[in-house]
Amino acid sequence: MAHGHDSTTISYRTYFITWVWLLVLTALALGLGYAPINESLKAFLLVCTTLAKILVIAAIFMHLRYERLNLILLTFVPLILAIIMFAFTFPETLGTSTHIIAVR
Amino acid sequence: MMWIFIISDALTFAGFLIAYGFMRRISPVWPKQTEVFNMVLITFMTFVLISSSAVMAMAVGAARAAQPKLAVRFLALTIVGGLIFLGCQAYEWTHFIEEGARLTHNPWGVAQFAASFFLITGFHGFHVLSGVVILSIVALRAAMGKYSPDGVENAGLYWHFIDVVWVFVFAFYYLL
Repeated sequence: MAHGHDSTTISYRTYFITWVWLLVLTALALGLGYAPINESLKAFLLVCTTLAKILVIAAIFMHLRYERLNLILLTFVPLILAIIMFAFTFPETLGTSTHIIAVR
Repeated sequence: MMWIFIISDALTFAGFLIAYGFMRRISPVWPKQTEVFNMVLITFMTFVLISSSAVMAMAVGAARAAQPKLAVRFLALTIVGGLIFLGCQAYEWTHFIEEGARLTHNPWGVAQFAASFFLITGFHGFHVLSGVVILSIVALRAAMGKYSPDGVENAGLYWHFIDVVWVFVFAFYYLL
């Protein structure tokens, strides 16, 4: 991994532009946090902005831009695993299980 | 080897965040985080970590370009970013504890609210602290002329991973 991109140096300007984009995406996520919109829509949009940030960091800062297979694996494998874990746990939250957490 | 570590650590954090999601879903009420936490401070912490990640990428670039002095300067800036982040987190924890937050109870109702906060941000903070120690060792070695570009790159991968985890924590713990 650490040896594969010696010939593909990323310029400081690219890092600077990436940094600016990350700040823009952070501002967008912050705005979504306060936006008076449906919670499901907010969750979906936050997932989108978060994934966009992860992709930018992985592609530019972690140099995976030049290793597309690793970039794809890094993005989608955790997503698929998360969906599987959610699928196992979230049915438990339906129905009458709210007694598990007490509210003072 | 670093990638295996990162993936295994990512799954640990994924487990924490999914457990947090489970608790949120199962709880009849949940405090509004943007009203409980100082979001200006949290946003500043995010800004610092993203900026340090960008500087770390430049340190890797300088190390690859055989510019050790420049690499050390960028590494030092990254370390400063990590220390600022940790200082802010210490302040946030102190403030939260002073307001009555404990692992077992808190003034906002749901006990798991504070417990998940301490667990997730504490685990992440410990990673930042470890990262600062690792970067300090790498910077010292580079200053002594014992640096290797691969060593700087591996430290960089770890630092970017910490940034990636914070992006998730920021979105799903503080904003959602």
